[in-house]
Amino acid sequence: MTTNGDATVKVVPVRHYGRWVGVALVGLLLAMVVHTLFFKVASAKMVCHVVSGARVCHHAMVFRYQWNIVGQYFFTSEILHGLLRTIFLTVVAMVLGIVLGVTIAVMRMSPNRVLSSIAWTYTWFFRGTPVLVQLLFWSFIGAVYPHLTLGIPFLHVTFVHFNVNTSLTIMEACAIGLGLNEGAYMSEIARAGLISVDEGQIEAATSLGMTRRQTLRLVTIPQAMRVIIPPTGNEVISMLKTTSLVSVVGVIDLLGAATNIYSENYEIIPLLIVASLWYLLVTTVLSIGQFYLERRFARGALRTPPPTPIQRLRADLLGVGSKFRTRRGLEVSP
Amino acid sequence: MSEPMVKIRGVRKSYNGIEVLKGVDLNVDRGEVTCLIGPSGSGKSTLLRCINHLEKHDSGELRVDNELVGYEMRNGRLYELTDKRVCENRSRIGMVFQRFNLFQHLTVLENVTVGQRKVLGKNREDASEKARELLARVGLKEKVTSYPSQLSGGQQQRVAIARALAMDPKLMLFDEPTSALDPELVGEVLEVMKDLARSGMTMIVVTHEMGFAREVANSVYFLDGGVIEESGDPRVILSTPSSERLKSFLSKVL
Repeated sequence: MTTNGDATVKVVPVRHYGRWVGVALVGLLLAMVVHTLFFKVASAKMVCHVVSGARVCHHAMVFRYQWNIVGQYFFTSEILHGLLRTIFLTVVAMVLGIVLGVTIAVMRMSPNRVLSSIAWTYTWFFRGTPVLVQLLFWSFIGAVYPHLTLGIPFLHVTFVHFNVNTSLTIMEACAIGLGLNEGAYMSEIARAGLISVDEGQIEAATSLGMTRRQTLRLVTIPQAMRVIIPPTGNEVISMLKTTSLVSVVGVIDLLGAATNIYSENYEIIPLLIVASLWYLLVTTVLSIGQFYLERRFARGALRTPPPTPIQRLRADLLGVGSKFRTRRGLEVSP
Repeated sequence: MSEPMVKIRGVRKSYNGIEVLKGVDLNVDRGEVTCLIGPSGSGKSTLLRCINHLEKHDSGELRVDNELVGYEMRNGRLYELTDKRVCENRSRIGMVFQRFNLFQHLTVLENVTVGQRKVLGKNREDASEKARELLARVGLKEKVTSYPSQLSGGQQQRVAIARALAMDPKLMLFDEPTSALDPELVGEVLEVMKDLARSGMTMIVVTHEMGFAREVANSVYFLDGGVIEESGDPRVILSTPSSERLKSFLSKVL
């Protein structure tokens, strides 16, 4: 404690003038954004009234982004059906991608050269061709394989047989295509996670008598999850938006629904905003989910888990309060 | 006289053409404490890791409780055992590591129960009861719900000892158990190990703690350059070493 006679000496924090200028500039830009987004402007359309016998005309005042039209279409069934398809494609493709990705990562790390080479080749192929090309290919899969049979080649042994053109919808084909492509990316993410786990953890599990499989399931994967989750969250959000490519092969997803509507009524910008807002909304929900998932798998890795946004907000508000109370300077206390 | 717990004859091991074990012989009787000492790179950790098959030795005979480690003798040939069989053998050999290697994502209690439940197939209650008993024995009764990262090094190593003991091992291997600890924490770990030695556990300890070797060990083996230079009663060889190498090693560590 610093004292000057009986009074406590106060510390005056440094004034950051540069930062204040920065805040003012950013504030100005923000005001411009708010103005252009939410304030009405004069349009080209003229509106005329008769006021005390005289005809008065002026430009109509409209939102630049036509929020009224956005609101009108936000919950239409066509948009909501498109949204459901987008979510279906994202979920199926990601589940497929994660399962494939972990399998391929484990194969890639296998001491068996055949398994690791196959895994490498898979990643090489699916990462090396554009996803749009893969989607187009899958949408025409029925032309290459009208009948799909699983069996042993050359020996005429058949396990499963089904008609591709009648039993596989184009949306399912798209989900498989996106999932296979995602598997290649997920395998590298899973591999990064698996190799991030300390060798000593595996040795300890082995010395307890755990088999390779038990070690992977009980020790390696739970610890790898910490490293795997953030980039996987990224992949989910990226996949949500990549699914918009399916409109190329005629699947009406969220974007497809929006383009269908504006091709009839020419309200292009408002409908693109409708689609964008829905994408943003789903992304927000996913980000929140990711935060809690990360917290769950960080158990043991951090001495104190990070605060939830609600806890942080509360702390910030309390902090702001205390800042105002000691605005004239911070008190130095023992 | 019964068979020794560990019997090693002419064990050799190389990494990429560099031979780290050049024909090692070693005997550990039941209930005995054996210390392996020697300069770093002398092969003592490698030898220890061969005993529970974390490393595969290239040639020679290595038996624990009269069973070959990792192999099976049939018609005069050695057959490598399947993963599952090796695991069964390993589960009865406890190992304590220099860097503790506690499972970071599990609590102290879970660290001590996971092997009992998943490898020995015990139910949750029995495993927890045994774990609590062992944690009390190493003086960490009140830390059951902590995560390893919340413990000091000495506490972590004591949990690691409890984790190994939970498997009812017939042999305990210690790989420099106090080398990663702050000096003031070494004592608490050595105390637990001494207690374990008094209870009659067969132990092989790779260590730089000459005081521990002198006080607790029944025999000491000095490894240098992949061979055993000298071995015998610690009170004899640590005070009156006969080989020049052990003399110079002891003058550096004591």
